[in-house]
Amino acid sequence: MTARPGGFAGNLLRVDLTRRTCRAEPWAPETMRELLGGVGLGAMILYRETATKGGKGNVAWDHPDNRLVLGTGPLAGLPVWGTGGLTVCTIGPGTNGPTSTQANGFFGTNLKYCGYDAIIIHGQAKDWVYLYINDDVVELRDARALMGLDTWDTQGALYQETGLAGHQLSVYSIGPAGENLVRFAAIQGDYGHVASKNGCGAVMGKKRLKAVAIVKGTKALHAADPRGVVQAADEMAHDLRTDPSARSLYEYGTLPGVVNLSKMGALPIKNYTTNLTSNVAGADLSAWEAPKLRENFDHRGHQCNACGMHHCHMSVIKQGDRKGAIVDEPEYEGWSGCGWAIGSADRDGVAWLNTECDRACVDVNEWGWLCGWVMECQEKGYITREQLGFELKWGDVKGAHRLLQMVSRREGLGNVLAEGVKRAAEKLGGPAKECAIYIEKGATPRGHDHRARWEEMLDTCTSSTATMETGNPVHPTEIGQPARVNPFDGEQVAKYVAGLRGRRSFEDSLGICIFTSRTRLEYLCRALSAATGWAFTVDEALRFGRRTAAINRATALRCGHTGAMEYPSTRYGSTPVDGPAKGQAIRAQWERMLDTWYAEVGFDRKTGRPWPKTLKGLGLDWLAKDLWGKKA
Amino acid sequence: MSVLRIHPEKCTGCLRCELACSYMQTGDFQPAKSVIRVSPFEGHTSYAPYTCTQCAEGWCMTACPVGAITINAVGAKDVLDDRCVGCKLCTIACPYGTMFYDPATRKAFKCNLCGGAPACAEACPTAAITYEDVTTGDWLGDFARERTERVLAGVR
Repeated sequence: MTARPGGFAGNLLRVDLTRRTCRAEPWAPETMRELLGGVGLGAMILYRETATKGGKGNVAWDHPDNRLVLGTGPLAGLPVWGTGGLTVCTIGPGTNGPTSTQANGFFGTNLKYCGYDAIIIHGQAKDWVYLYINDDVVELRDARALMGLDTWDTQGALYQETGLAGHQLSVYSIGPAGENLVRFAAIQGDYGHVASKNGCGAVMGKKRLKAVAIVKGTKALHAADPRGVVQAADEMAHDLRTDPSARSLYEYGTLPGVVNLSKMGALPIKNYTTNLTSNVAGADLSAWEAPKLRENFDHRGHQCNACGMHHCHMSVIKQGDRKGAIVDEPEYEGWSGCGWAIGSADRDGVAWLNTECDRACVDVNEWGWLCGWVMECQEKGYITREQLGFELKWGDVKGAHRLLQMVSRREGLGNVLAEGVKRAAEKLGGPAKECAIYIEKGATPRGHDHRARWEEMLDTCTSSTATMETGNPVHPTEIGQPARVNPFDGEQVAKYVAGLRGRRSFEDSLGICIFTSRTRLEYLCRALSAATGWAFTVDEALRFGRRTAAINRATALRCGHTGAMEYPSTRYGSTPVDGPAKGQAIRAQWERMLDTWYAEVGFDRKTGRPWPKTLKGLGLDWLAKDLWGKKA
Repeated sequence: MSVLRIHPEKCTGCLRCELACSYMQTGDFQPAKSVIRVSPFEGHTSYAPYTCTQCAEGWCMTACPVGAITINAVGAKDVLDDRCVGCKLCTIACPYGTMFYDPATRKAFKCNLCGGAPACAEACPTAAITYEDVTTGDWLGDFARERTERVLAGVR
C-alpha cells in the first residue's frame, strides 16, 4: 500500500442520517493525487453515488440518496494563508444539478485536526439533529432545541452547550431559510462565512441536519517538507501584499469592488435598470471608497486559518437606530446584493441587512436579485401591495428585512418567492418575468452586472456547478493566455473563458480561500508539493481542474441539464441603457460565443457532452465509455 | 534581554502562531501541542494570544520537586526532559496556565523562546507578537499598568 502523502488527514467521515451511523472510512492514498479534496473529491462522489438505479438518471436534490459532501483539501490547516477551507458539493435545488461552493473560517482546520479530510452525508434524519465531531467522538445529537434559531444564535447555543468558544468550535449551520427549504438557502459558519450557491442550505434542511459542530482537534498533520510549506506560504503572502492586482484585496478585501466595478458598469444597480450610481437616492460614491467604507464602522480583523489578509472583519455600527449592533463586514457581494441591487446606499443599513441574510442563511446574491425584482415589480404594478402585504420601495432596507423574514419563513407571497427568482418569475409570468435576473438552469449569477463582464456571464451560463466554474483571470499569462482581451468581443471572450478553464476547480480542491489563492499557480503548486511530497506542476493542476469540470458536466447531464438551459434570462442578457457599458449587446453575440466556447473546450454543442477525445486526453477513458458507450 | 511581547489589539485570531509553535515543538503541525494559545474575547469578536511570560520569579521552577526547570541561554525557563518526572506540579503552580503536560511523553513542556528565534513572532502576519529587547524583564507589569490606567481613565 502506498504511504499516505503529507497534508492529508487520511479519513473520510461517512454519515448516514437515516440509520444514524457515523464511521471513518480510510481514504486510499492511491486516489489522493487524482482527487485532492474539495470539488475534486466532491465531483467524483456525486458522479459515483448519486445516479439512479441503472445509471441513466440522477437522484433529485431532495432525495435521501443525494450526497452532501463537506470537503476540505490538502492545504487546509497548514500555515498557508486562508486555509480553513470548506467546499460544499451536492445536488442543489436551484439547478437540480451539481454544486461546488466555498466558504472558510476554521471548518477545514478543525476537521483536519480531528483526523478527517471530508464529511460525506447521505440519508435523511427522522428528527432534527446536529453533527458533533471531537477527534474520534462523532455523534448525531438532538437538535430540536436549536430549531428556529438563526445561524449566529445556533453557533452561540452550541458554544454554551459544549462550553467552548471562538475557534475552539467551528460551527456551520442553517437558519430558518434552510429549515424551510428556501431554494437559495446557504450554509453559514463561524460568523460570516457562507457557502451560498445552489441552495446547499436547503439540502441540509431536507436532511434535517441543523448544524455541523467541529471541535478543534488534537491530532497532528504531517507535511512532507514543512519548511517548504512555510516558504511557499511566504512567497504567496509576498505576492498578495505587493502584486498590483492583489494588493487592494490584501488591504481591504473585496470592499474596493463597489467603486471599481461601478467604473466598468459592472456594479448592478436597481435590478439592472440602470448603471449610474447617481440614480440611487442619497448615493455619494466617495463615501464608498474602501477606506471610508471600513472606517464607517468600529472594526476588528476576524481572519480565517493562518491568514494575514486584511479581509474579513467584524464591525460594529457606530450611529443611527442600529448603533452598537455587531455585524460581519459585508463582502462586495453583500454591498451589492443588500445595497446597490435594491437601490440602497445606506451603508449602516446595508451592513445590517447583509448580516441578517447570513443569519437567516439566505444567499445574498440571489437575495439581491429577488428583492430588487420585487421592488421593480411593485413600482411597475406587476406585484400589488395586496399581493405582498405591504409597500416595498427602492432602497427600503427595513421593508427588505420584512421581505427577508417572509421568504425565510415562507409566509404569504414569501412562499412563492422562496422558490427563487426563476421559479417565482415563471409563476407570476408576463412582464414580471421579463425583469427577473436568472439563468435558465435555475440559478442566479453573482452580484455583478455581467452585461459589462461578458466572460463571467458565459462562464455562469455554461457552468455545471450553478455558479462560475472557470473563474476570473488570475495571472493569465502564466498559463499562456493573454493579459486582457476586448471585453465586448464575444469570440475573444469565449476563447478566453475556455482557455482559463481548470484553475478554479484546482484551487477549490486544496482547502484554500479563493482570495488568498489569487497568486501565481506555480506558488500554489509549490505549496501543494511541499505538503504532499509530490512534484505537482502547473500543467497537472490545469489538467486536474479540467478533469474535475468534465466529471461535474457528466453529472449535470445526468441531472437533465441541456444546452437549451445555457442562456441568460431576458433581463440578465439585456443591453445596458446607460453607464460605461451602454449599448453593449451580449445577446447579439451569444450564439457565436457558445459555438466558440464549445469548440474550444472540446464539448459537443448539440448534446453538451465532452467529446471522447477530450475525455481521453484528460485520462478519463472510463467516463468516455459512460457517456458515449461503444462510440468511444 | 529579549522578551515576547503580545499586542492583543492587533490579533485577528488566525492562529498561525499556534501552527508555527507546534511545528517547533513536534516537527508536525498540531495546535494541541502548541505552547502559545489564542483565546477568544468579547464573544467571538476578538482574540488574543497568550504564552509564558518568563516571569522573573518563576513559580514553575519553585514548585518543581526535581529541579527539572532551568533557565536557558536566552533567559527562558526551560524543561529538562531527562529530569522531568511528569508530576504536573508546575502546571498547578503556573498562575497563567502556560505550563503544559503531554500525556504521550509524560513530560511537562513550555515556551522556551525557541532558543532565541521564536517561531510564533516570525509567523504572526499582523505583528501582534513581537520579540523585543527590553530594559526590564517585567514588561508584563508595564503593560498591565498602562492598560489599567487606560481602562480607569475610560471609567472616570
